[in-house]
Amino acid sequence: MVNYFFLITLLPLIGFLVNGIFGYKIKNEKVAGIIGSGTILGSFIIALIAFFQLLGMPAEQRTITVTLFQWITAGSFNISAAYLIDPLSVVMSLIITGVGFLIHVYSIGYMHGDRGFARFFAFLNLFIFAMLNLVLGDNFLLMFLGWEGVGLCSYLLIGFWYEKKFTGDAANKAFWVNRIGDLGFMIAMFYILVNFGSLNFGAVFGAAGSSIAPGSTLITVITILLFVGATGKSAQIPLFIWLPDAMAGPTPVSALIHAATMVTAGVYMVARCSILFALAPFTMDLILAIGALTAFFAATIAVTQNDIKKILAYSTVSQLGFMFMALGAGAFSTGIFHVTTHAFFKALMFLGAGSVIHSMHEEQDVMNMGGLKNKMKVTFLTFLMGGIAISGIPPFSGFFSKDEILTNVYLSGNYLFFGLGVLTAFMTAFYIFRLIGLTFYGNPRYDEHKTHPHESPKVMTIPLIILAVLSVIGGFIGLPHIVGPNLIDHFLEPVFASARTILPVHHIEAGTEIMLIVISVFVAVVGIFLAYRAYAKAYKPEVSRNPVYNFVQNKYKVDEFYNAVIVTPLRMLSNLLYKFFDLIVIDGIVNGSGKFFTSLSGDWRKMQTGVIQDYAVISVAGIIAIIIFVLLVVK
Amino acid sequence: MLTQQILDGLSKFYPETILSVTILVIVFVELFFKKKTRVSGWIAMAGLAAAMLFTFLQVNIPAQTIFFQMVAVDPFSYFFKVLLILSGFLIVLFTFLSDEIRSSEFKTQEYYALLIALTLGGFLMASSVNLLMMYLALELSSLSSYVLAGYFKKSNRSSEAALKYVIYGGVSSGLMLFGISLIYGICGSLDMFAISAYLSANPVNLITLLIAIFLMLAGFGYKISAVPFHFWTPDVYEGSPMPVTALLSVSSKAAGFAMLIRFFLVAFQNAGHPTITTEGLHQYITLPGLHWPEVIAVIAVATMTLGNVVAIWQDNLKRLLAYSSIAQAGYMLLAFVVVSPQGISAMLTYLAVYLFMNLGAFFAAILISNKYKTENIEEMKGIGYRSPLLCVSMAVFMLSLSGIPMTAGFIGKFYIFSALINNGYIWLAIIGLMNSVVSLYYYIKILKNMFLIRPQGDTGAVSFGAGYSVLLLALAIPTIVLGIFFGPLTKFAEYSVQIFGLK
Repeated sequence: MVNYFFLITLLPLIGFLVNGIFGYKIKNEKVAGIIGSGTILGSFIIALIAFFQLLGMPAEQRTITVTLFQWITAGSFNISAAYLIDPLSVVMSLIITGVGFLIHVYSIGYMHGDRGFARFFAFLNLFIFAMLNLVLGDNFLLMFLGWEGVGLCSYLLIGFWYEKKFTGDAANKAFWVNRIGDLGFMIAMFYILVNFGSLNFGAVFGAAGSSIAPGSTLITVITILLFVGATGKSAQIPLFIWLPDAMAGPTPVSALIHAATMVTAGVYMVARCSILFALAPFTMDLILAIGALTAFFAATIAVTQNDIKKILAYSTVSQLGFMFMALGAGAFSTGIFHVTTHAFFKALMFLGAGSVIHSMHEEQDVMNMGGLKNKMKVTFLTFLMGGIAISGIPPFSGFFSKDEILTNVYLSGNYLFFGLGVLTAFMTAFYIFRLIGLTFYGNPRYDEHKTHPHESPKVMTIPLIILAVLSVIGGFIGLPHIVGPNLIDHFLEPVFASARTILPVHHIEAGTEIMLIVISVFVAVVGIFLAYRAYAKAYKPEVSRNPVYNFVQNKYKVDEFYNAVIVTPLRMLSNLLYKFFDLIVIDGIVNGSGKFFTSLSGDWRKMQTGVIQDYAVISVAGIIAIIIFVLLVVK
Repeated sequence: MLTQQILDGLSKFYPETILSVTILVIVFVELFFKKKTRVSGWIAMAGLAAAMLFTFLQVNIPAQTIFFQMVAVDPFSYFFKVLLILSGFLIVLFTFLSDEIRSSEFKTQEYYALLIALTLGGFLMASSVNLLMMYLALELSSLSSYVLAGYFKKSNRSSEAALKYVIYGGVSSGLMLFGISLIYGICGSLDMFAISAYLSANPVNLITLLIAIFLMLAGFGYKISAVPFHFWTPDVYEGSPMPVTALLSVSSKAAGFAMLIRFFLVAFQNAGHPTITTEGLHQYITLPGLHWPEVIAVIAVATMTLGNVVAIWQDNLKRLLAYSSIAQAGYMLLAFVVVSPQGISAMLTYLAVYLFMNLGAFFAAILISNKYKTENIEEMKGIGYRSPLLCVSMAVFMLSLSGIPMTAGFIGKFYIFSALINNGYIWLAIIGLMNSVVSLYYYIKILKNMFLIRPQGDTGAVSFGAGYSVLLLALAIPTIVLGIFFGPLTKFAEYSVQIFGLK
């Protein structure tokens, strides 16, 4: 009955193949766009069917395994290409295909007239295919395949406008930084394979739950390595540096890959392996700390940036930090909840930013904008919804998920990180409304004779409206305990059940919960108020002389630090190795063996005399040689 | 009783019977055509299709021997029958699409009949369990191929190839026959099971037995072009019409391997005779001192090294592919050293993969010679820009032959090397890997010429008819798909070797 679920991933693959192979022949943009988005819509519908099918099943049994084929069989090692459809993967699939579909539709308008129109849609489809394999795979290997696949697509799409040098550089940077994380993931996978004898989720998690002692070295090492993988893909300290640069790609890509979906892969992976992480308290603390620090530092950078996409990029890094805080505090479903709401409002804001950039003729500096709210009403209003949502004003979606994260961090007893979280929430509200103030309010700071901002076409604004609605109401799936039922937590519960039996249980009193809600609303309101006062007026940009401010604006000079500490010594080392090892040793061996074989070949081919008698003689001599060999040597 | 057994045998002999009838029908029908015709080609295809159908009906038949222990009907021969028919089918299509054959002035009458006869010979080689039957099957297949190799009667190259082939084949089969007669002298039987039973129950003169076995090896070695019995290969491959070369490189070779595997595993290992056991890793050897796997290892290494090394200097594509196919036989022999289900099934897997990639390479060579009128690699500069589909497919075949991941060839090599490593033959695996590196040089050289050098002179696009492209893709797609989705193939191969009862 469930065999058609493989279509969820197959449809985007078909879209990719059609647009990728025949793209250059498809002259009509509409056709390419409709193929690209239609396949994703199809996947979304099937994911919805899967969702409802799961709902119809008893809560503990909500797992469907779709085995496509035996993939690799080598001795006792056995891997099937199989999909695991359970509440967690369905929620992720719905986000990926749902938000993905809206962004595809938006791209039809945004990419209008681009030379690589069909190529763009082909890559987007390939991305969705890889991402779905990542979340639906029922073993680490398939997940890794998706993991690498999304990395590749991210690379291809960041460097989509490959004629410009900086897009290529940004793409390379993203790829390399991700490789570091991927290496961690791979080593973790090897450890798992060696110690559990399988890469299948069910087998590994079952064995881990029953036979691994909490806090043992093995599980701590495995989880730290997995988390290293997550820090790469999800842009956490110390590997977050690639994400801001990744904004060189087209804006829909930033929305889809670098905000809503791919960057949450790390969060998904940690959640998927919840049982492993629950067994490693040290790693959990590490995740909490890294998450909180990333959230905080990225937010401080976001406050000082002037590029509209960079602000949103740092905001994404910061929000991902929030998600990891949730995971570190053991609130896996809360992390996924924030993934969901974040996908709505961050995709919305990126697309809104795209709409602004589009109408401002590729201007990205907010200092050169201002006063756009009357010229782009839909973009402004929808962006505002997103801004309120991310700031955490109830009843907008961001409020619920962020409040739940802060509550969980508070309950876990790490008050320092709770404090950082609250501070970050404050800064979030501030930098988003700084952005809104500078972009949409105040005086126009662009040349009004040259630039005439206008509202974007419907194909772009309708996705904005839908995402805005979702950003407003999306939070109701996870209400606080004092208000009502937490649907998403309840739905995801079976997936995290075994992890929860290991982790300590916290009970919250109504009074505490109200207090926490008041705090988080208060800081958000203060942040918005301050930003509004400072920026929602005629604003004159000035260059700051404050060294601290400049240091933060320069992103704490992390890039320069990495350059000095890692890249430069590595380059020197590799140059040294190149000159000695490559040029002398390797090239010597390669060229030497090349010469050796070529001369050998020249000699040996002379045996082929063309005279048949020679052949017969050599053959008979060969038999005699073999017999002598057997009698004398082998014996 | 006698009639009963013959009738029973015939009922399990439909595929072979159909092929025999097809040969007769083709010869008869051709009498009515004065000019060249494709009719006999279609008849050949119909015959192959019918034989395929009846082969499929044998899928679940229990392993047994028919015709008084002459021929076996079992999963092992089933595997090879499927390969042979598939290959025969593709070769008929190649012939249809080859300008070389189309423009020749000769009638096609014998051509298709001989092609089917070669396939029939292959069927019997794969299934005979009696040395006499095996020899006859070998001769049937060889004689057909001699004539096919000399199909262009007026071409010196083709005639020379055929003559060399006949002489060399004659020498080899003579040696083999000598070996068989010695074995008969030792064991008093030509039946493989009886030989096995005799050897395990009675003491024999080891030296005589060794001489007999390695004389027989001349026959096997010649069929699969193993060193030092490979000398005919480059000359014959170069001189024969290209579809015939493709046929020789796949069908004959596969049948030769089938014969080799069955002979050694049935006659010289102890499965099915639980009374004989020897200790240690080499449990399969019935006689102490009979180290045939070691000899196979030496031959395998020599074969692939010679094939790969000499291929480096070749600039004729057909000759290069000839050496490449020698090297490929070396890899397969390597797997035979591991006398275990893993090793033998790796061999079968490789053969199946080899069918697609090698036939693909030959088909690409046919198309290049059709359109560009050249077999010289140096003259293929830049044709990747003029015929992208053809050259990309060629790239797939070349990469697969050298064993690059994501292609079927990688999976084939992976299974062979992992079988070697699992059984402690790490050195052989390393030599195999180094050989793959060497082979990469000449495979990539072709691609370098196609893609990295811009076309000079005429740069117009050269495209093919839909039929050509479809057949090209029909070979290229499996070469990629089998590199990702190979479960069923390896299962099939494992199932096919179960009858030998190896552990």
